[in-house]
Amino acid sequence: MLEKIARPEEIRRWEGDLPVRHRYTPGVAGDAFFTALKERGVLLGSRCESCAYTYVPARLFCERCFSELSADTEVGPAGELVSFTIVFQGIEGEPLERPQTLGAVRLDGADAVLIHRVQPGEEPLEIGERVEVVIEPEPRRTGSILDIAGFRVVET
Amino acid sequence: MTRRVAVVGAGMTRFVRRALETGKELAWEASREALASCELPLDRIDAVCLTSAPDAFDGVHMKGEYLSDGAGAFGRPFIRTYVGGGSGVFTAIQAYYTVASGMADVVLAVAEEKMSSTQPHPQGAFLTIFDNILERPLGPNLLWIFALEMNRYMTVHGIDKRDIAAVAVKNKRNAADHPAALLGQADITIEDVLASETLAWPVQRLDVSPISDGAVAIVVASEEAAKQITSDPVWIQGVGWNLDTAYWTNRDLVFPDYVANAARMAYGMAGVTEPRKQIHVAEPYDPFDYKELHHLEGLLLFDKGMAPEAARDGVLDRKGDLPSCPSGGLLGVGNPIAAAGLMKIAELFWQLRGEAGARQVPGTPERGVAQAWGDLMQVGTVVVMGREGPPTTATQLETPPAATPATSLSDAEFRSATGAVEDEIGARYAWDAGVAIGRFLDGLRDGKIMGRECRNCERVLVPPRMFCERCFRGTHAWKQVEHTGEVQTFSICNVRWDMQPLDEPELPAVIAIDGSDGGFLHTLGEVDPDEIRIGMKVEAVWKPVSERTGSILDIAYFRPRQGDPRGSRSERERASASPPGEDAS
Repeated sequence: MLEKIARPEEIRRWEGDLPVRHRYTPGVAGDAFFTALKERGVLLGSRCESCAYTYVPARLFCERCFSELSADTEVGPAGELVSFTIVFQGIEGEPLERPQTLGAVRLDGADAVLIHRVQPGEEPLEIGERVEVVIEPEPRRTGSILDIAGFRVVET
Repeated sequence: MTRRVAVVGAGMTRFVRRALETGKELAWEASREALASCELPLDRIDAVCLTSAPDAFDGVHMKGEYLSDGAGAFGRPFIRTYVGGGSGVFTAIQAYYTVASGMADVVLAVAEEKMSSTQPHPQGAFLTIFDNILERPLGPNLLWIFALEMNRYMTVHGIDKRDIAAVAVKNKRNAADHPAALLGQADITIEDVLASETLAWPVQRLDVSPISDGAVAIVVASEEAAKQITSDPVWIQGVGWNLDTAYWTNRDLVFPDYVANAARMAYGMAGVTEPRKQIHVAEPYDPFDYKELHHLEGLLLFDKGMAPEAARDGVLDRKGDLPSCPSGGLLGVGNPIAAAGLMKIAELFWQLRGEAGARQVPGTPERGVAQAWGDLMQVGTVVVMGREGPPTTATQLETPPAATPATSLSDAEFRSATGAVEDEIGARYAWDAGVAIGRFLDGLRDGKIMGRECRNCERVLVPPRMFCERCFRGTHAWKQVEHTGEVQTFSICNVRWDMQPLDEPELPAVIAIDGSDGGFLHTLGEVDPDEIRIGMKVEAVWKPVSERTGSILDIAYFRPRQGDPRGSRSERERASASPPGEDAS
């Protein structure tokens, strides 16, 4: 059954793709989150009182108890650096000109953590230290997760 | 010994063209309604079964897991399946065996689809349904499959298109009584359907169900749990599913064997020996109007070719002898693929409880069947549901579903939504032809159509394969077949896959090559579209040798056979095409 390929250059291959692209709208909770971020420069979460848990970004429902939630809780702008990583390679494995730091931050008032870039500081980062969110100035905000420029260490 | 299993609750969102809600949010809204309908808190759910289209469809990796929070799967056993259009009914089957096996007492089964994210048209994601090497170079369109099947079904049985259009009319009228419906229309007529734009003859726009966003959920419970939850459980009496061959052009396009096999399995389990007497209400799968009729025959509820007459005579109406798609079906309620199938299970639940309000079929039905169809157009999924004794719940209820969450976005709102992002997967693929098709393509370059012979079942397989899927043993020899064949079915297609109009219609056909078994997809040329007939003898028109590359397109098209098939060929073709015969290798 198995046939040996003597001339690999003659293997017949067909190239193709899936001719689709996608447009994702942010949904009920996402609309509230991005509108507040764009218009007011604040981060909205959703509090589930019965589970004593605050999600961020905001959500329409609690995945733990299925209660309906709203974007009722402003979180941050400061929080705790839960973890971080420094990325030296790009997606194709190429070295990055400038390493990129990504942090997982539990913003004050939230239970869920938010992942975003961490702006470089003078000192090496430490897990557990205080950071704050940097929001782009109003004219540059478009209603995108990139309206958050990143986190930076809180100067003490 | 398996346990008895019942459906105890159901809920759904509205089916809309474009939902404001994300897929997760739709799933949650349907799930919440299903739980509310039987007054269960989420913590009574032991396991979750979910279905939604493949990840590539809307570009969400591990989409089942992405949707899982909206389906109540946090901290629970969870599984997602997908069997194409058959999914919605299959997820009820999966919930059934999860409970019947004793692995869980109460299962939430959820089906979600958000088709509106996929641009420019969801069909783009379906193009890989076609064989990447043998069919996609022909520029196929999903409508081809339906048009080709519908044409053959109509022609073989001599069916009047009006009798098929009667199904679209019935379902869109029924859907006018469905609070969650996208396309209910109480005053639609057969003339409206027959006057709608011809997409791929014989398929017209109103023969087709609309693309939609939506979600449906049901709660499935063991006998013991069901009796605690409700005084009126609806039992899942039988389930069945079955696959036909993966080569759609090799299937019987007139009769859906895969549905008949699945139905026999489900009826056997349910103790249904005379389905025409024992089934009182049906929800067959109706993405196209002819498909409902095709499937009613597959469900053994009508003789072959006799369902269209029943549609014409009102037998399938809500007040007819066999109400079919009293919900309004996919044609009327909408077709968010996976969700549409589970909507049919929900409808049987409401109908059998006597709770269907304005949609209630008369005569307190005791048993119903729901069915869907999908995978590579080859799976049948069937569920038989029934109740014991008269319904105990009040019958003067609002027409279900009680609540219809989901909000529709306008075009402008969709385009301007704050926070929206556009993206594409951007993956490209290179598909290897493999052993059998590689040799087949070499043959085409040399002007030969090559098949593989299975001496065990005495078939010559075109397209060839190195193993016979029926005998499950290696095929025996290469065999060159003729350049001629017969049109098994054809279509005249006026639109591209993205539904943009074509300047010149395309003429796809399934052609049975002389000397082989089964058909194969190609296009017709040098023919007036009005002259094409099923059964017409055709012959391959080859590209000049210098232009051949070892591709399905080395056959430019098939044209009506001109007198003696050999004698009519041009010198060029005669010189470049080899006569058939046994091949030594």
